Amino acid sequence: MLQEYIALAFILFFLGRLGWQLYKDQISKSQFLMWTLFWFIVGILIIYIHAIDSFTTKLGFSSSGIQLLFYIAVVLLFYWVLRLRLTIEKMSKEITELTRSQALANKNSNHN
Amino acid sequence: MKIFCVIPSWNQANTLEKVVNDVSKFCDNIVIVDDGSTDQTKEVVKNLPAHFISHAINRGQGAALKTGTQFAKEYGADIVVHFDADGQFRAEDLQKIVAPIINNQAQIVFGSRFLDTTTKMPEFKKKFIMPLARFINKYVFRINLTDPQSGFRALGPLALQEIDWRQDRMAHCSEILVAAHRSGLTIAEVPITVIYHEFGQKIGGGLKILRDLFLSKLNN
Repeated sequence: MLQEYIALAFILFFLGRLGWQLYKDQISKSQFLMWTLFWFIVGILIIYIHAIDSFTTKLGFSSSGIQLLFYIAVVLLFYWVLRLRLTIEKMSKEITELTRSQALANKNSNHN
Repeated sequence: MKIFCVIPSWNQANTLEKVVNDVSKFCDNIVIVDDGSTDQTKEVVKNLPAHFISHAINRGQGAALKTGTQFAKEYGADIVVHFDADGQFRAEDLQKIVAPIINNQAQIVFGSRFLDTTTKMPEFKKKFIMPLARFINKYVFRINLTDPQSGFRALGPLALQEIDWRQDRMAHCSEILVAAHRSGLTIAEVPITVIYHEFGQKIGGGLKILRDLFLSKLNN
């Protein structure tokens, strides 16, 4: 139980910090909403961790619910890294296009 | 037919002048694409008989070749030859590579280091990296050519119309090969001699090519 209270205290700290960042205009409203939703979901999962434990057992896994959440988190992280990578690739292609059009507009010729 | 030779160059000021002077005997126009060099390239090209395009920042060989090819097409090129600035290719081979296009035997021609017996390729590259690349080309991309990563190629009028590539770095070689096959173009290979000053593409480079192709597939 103590672990759950500590985790919830951390979440409250981060929610408070988010509110402060929004107040100070350090993050946008959409970022605030996204992270609030994220911490809210994490909080719900912690509150219902025992229900997740029994769900995990029903599914036939020998591990506890918290371990299952960790596995899901790792999978999600891998997915997000891939999405990030694809976004970087797309931006890189756009930079190339920009560089190309600028280069072609400023071409020089020593040919007669 | 109007032959343009596109030479991408990144910090190759030392070899560029000789390469351009040698190549100029075998083509009508030369297009140098400086890919964000930080050496003396801009000074060197001032007196060379060539068109000069400069990328403000380094974008990779594939990107530089595409810029040069786009320029050549705008200037009415019938044949575009891709040539390296590091002096590893022989200018005389340019005649060999454009011949099948001029004689209507092929629409795109690739130079092959394996059809030529005088090329002294590093042993590890010859016996391990290249067979692996050939295996991937054959069984993944269904391409059966002797040289899996040839950077010396000539594109005829139809190839210039049909082939486009999006790979900015070294994966453009595979992308052009695949595009040539998928477009149903007549492909030819001619023997070329490559003089190795350094090892060139290593295993890590090969893995980067596969990574780039994979990411590009996911982005489409």
